Amino acid sequence: MAYVAIRGGADAIKGSARLMDALRAMGSSAPLELDQIERQMPLLHSRVLSEGGLYHPRLASLALKQSLGDSLEAAFFLRAYRSTKPRLGETAPHDTRTMRVVRRVSAAFKDIPGGQMLGATPDYLHRLFRFELMDEGPETFAQIARDWFGNRPKAEAPLTFPKVLDTLRDEGLLAPLAESDEEPFDITREPLIFPVPRSAQLATMARGETGGLLALAYSNMRGYGDVHPTVGELRVGYVPVMVPHPVTGKPMEAGEVLVTECEIVAMFEKADDGAPVFTLGYGACFGHNEVKAIAMAVLDRAISVAKDKGRIANPSEDPEFVLLHVDGIESMGFCTHYKMPHYVTFQSDMDRLRAARTKAEEAADAPR
Amino acid sequence: MHPVDTMGQNREGAEYGFAFLDEDAKRELRRTIFKAVCIPGHQVPYASREMPIARGFGTGGMQLTLALLGPDDTCKVIDQGADDSVNAANIRAFFALTCPGVTGTLRTEEASVIQTRHRIPELPLRADQILVFQVPYPDPLVVVESNAAKRRRMHGRADYARLWVKLYEDMVAFDEITISHRYPTRINGHYIIDPSPIPRFDVPKLHQAECLYLFGAGREKRIYAVPPHTDAIPITFNDVAFAVESFRDKTTGKRHVCRRCGADDSFLDEFPDNDGARVFQCSDAAWCDMRLERLEAAE
Amino acid sequence: MSVLELPRLWRPETHQALFRRILDVAARPGQIADLSDLLDDRPAALAALATFCDNTQTLADPTGALSDADLAFLDVRTAPVEQAGFILARGADAPRFTPRLGTLDAPEGGALIVVMVDSLTDGPPLTLTGPGIAAQTVLSPGGLVPAWLDARAGWCADFPMGVDLVLADQTRLAVLPRTAKIKGA
Repeated sequence: MAYVAIRGGADAIKGSARLMDALRAMGSSAPLELDQIERQMPLLHSRVLSEGGLYHPRLASLALKQSLGDSLEAAFFLRAYRSTKPRLGETAPHDTRTMRVVRRVSAAFKDIPGGQMLGATPDYLHRLFRFELMDEGPETFAQIARDWFGNRPKAEAPLTFPKVLDTLRDEGLLAPLAESDEEPFDITREPLIFPVPRSAQLATMARGETGGLLALAYSNMRGYGDVHPTVGELRVGYVPVMVPHPVTGKPMEAGEVLVTECEIVAMFEKADDGAPVFTLGYGACFGHNEVKAIAMAVLDRAISVAKDKGRIANPSEDPEFVLLHVDGIESMGFCTHYKMPHYVTFQSDMDRLRAARTKAEEAADAPR
Repeated sequence: MHPVDTMGQNREGAEYGFAFLDEDAKRELRRTIFKAVCIPGHQVPYASREMPIARGFGTGGMQLTLALLGPDDTCKVIDQGADDSVNAANIRAFFALTCPGVTGTLRTEEASVIQTRHRIPELPLRADQILVFQVPYPDPLVVVESNAAKRRRMHGRADYARLWVKLYEDMVAFDEITISHRYPTRINGHYIIDPSPIPRFDVPKLHQAECLYLFGAGREKRIYAVPPHTDAIPITFNDVAFAVESFRDKTTGKRHVCRRCGADDSFLDEFPDNDGARVFQCSDAAWCDMRLERLEAAE
Repeated sequence: MSVLELPRLWRPETHQALFRRILDVAARPGQIADLSDLLDDRPAALAALATFCDNTQTLADPTGALSDADLAFLDVRTAPVEQAGFILARGADAPRFTPRLGTLDAPEGGALIVVMVDSLTDGPPLTLTGPGIAAQTVLSPGGLVPAWLDARAGWCADFPMGVDLVLADQTRLAVLPRTAKIKGA
């Protein structure tokens, strides 16, 4: 009798790839265009950019298309692609005050310098289905565009805005920004060996999986922790990327990246001069992803609080627990791997169980 | 359509270099491998790169293999002892795609580099062969301590007291050490390693071998090594002998044999066949094939 | 300079071939790797550094053995000899420094020292035991002053901390990992 057909596994894999493609192509709908994904699902697209850790909007769309809409898989595609790219250089730190803002709000103050800019957000819309969206055609989109651009008021809104928290700093209610010339920790070049600096913490979370970060932050918000945040500022917009000119060394704008940034203000503590001040939590990521930025800021504060107190009371305060479990590529990969053959290890387990049962039987049968 | 055509160039004209990884990544892997060999059993951290195959599917083993392979290598990939297990087939296809010139083989004796998941080949390996293990959990102390910093301290001091306590608790509860695969093994009298989920049956092959053993954990970002001619002793109590899987039938008392080649000394896969009967077959497909070849040649 | 124009010693395929031979002899202390077909007359010591060094690593070259051109290709950052991850030294000069030995938690921090010797085969015989060696073996490096063996014994006294040595003559390498015990040293 033949052993497992020697071509079986490889053939099955090839068949699987063809079937995935066939499922995509079945039916009467037209193939997805990359533009459609980026334009009409920008928030899903943003999630992939952010979790992939590579700002390449076209490839993020391709990743979603190729992965049949699985955001974990799509982020994985970007991450794997990034893995092979050579390191060309490093920029200087970027100040997000240069951000060309599309949305900017603060929960801490009723009004803020430059104004509260609601921008495009579903936050205050009713989550009621608009069934007319089921029958949209190209002419619907054309009408929407005409309505928006035709009647746009000619208000002179500034492109960039000051930071809300600077107001608190000016009054001394928030500790001044510490100057640091420390090299930021590069999580793509060094593994996390704890304790890690804050830059490693933030970098890991910046490309962390949204659901994972949210669950951990939520645990802190509900009481497994005591951050009690107020959103000092949440801003979304395009940050110009400044790279040094190859000849003159002068910083030149090479392009822009969509970034979401959240600064939360949390419980106060004593500053160096003895007077109490508010504390800060910071979150930022590629793309438009507010839940992630807020969750990140809460976790940033939670971990810092525990570090200052020297006591970890909850999982969301434990840097190892948080940072080692929020990477979507790693968690998804390991979860998925349980579907692989494990029959040799299982055979080994059966041997141990049988041995232990034999011992138990012998003990039960032994004369007293 | 040859997969290399789609892999080699994208629209921007960018290409993948030999063995997929960039030279910086390979250099870091090579530095880490060198240190691992100089400090047998110590888990050396490295900046594990993401691969186009998911974490948990052997990215650590793959990075090791990709750092090693050159165009005159012959490479074999096995999973659960079989070349055609889906995981091995997938990885082998990736090597074929990214390492032009490297020869693939199913025969253990022809390979210069073998990447494996969960088994050591039955055929003893030679000094000119390297065995690369895919490792899910590099640290045997993870069963007794979840904090990585504390585990590192314990390893540095060879302080394995809490592991011994765990084994003792097993004895008290079951009169057996219940660890089956991933059996903690002491290397060169200092570091205790997790030898990856190989069965107990394979652990003795680590001891004083001719070949080099390299262990790669991609997700956990650690590499460790057992050099040739190095002591690798599974830990146990003085009065509890280390026992391998017996494959002894409970009723007849006889050791099961492979239904295909008749081997009575190899690790066997046990599974129900279509009639519901229990059958046994060599887990190491190449070993089974080789035995069959020899039997047929002898006839 | 395109990859094709790079001198042989700096090409990726050379580094792969070099690494395999270095790995073989690191796993089997006392065995000698002949690199002559890969070197194009460059020294084996440089080949060892070329295999491992890049701009994430630090190197100390206290005797100034490396040319500016070679340093540029190595692309390493220089560091004082007590802090460098890689050290290039001469076997004829007794070492008057303490290199990085690593820590109990991170012994891999111990330095890799490439020691240039006259020959790997015509000096006094050293009997070696330890991992990678079946029973024992003999390595006879010439041009390695005894102070090196004394210093190494001190540096490697507290395993897992220690240093790892690559001995290099003009065309060949041998490796003494910290685990290799030298009889009488």
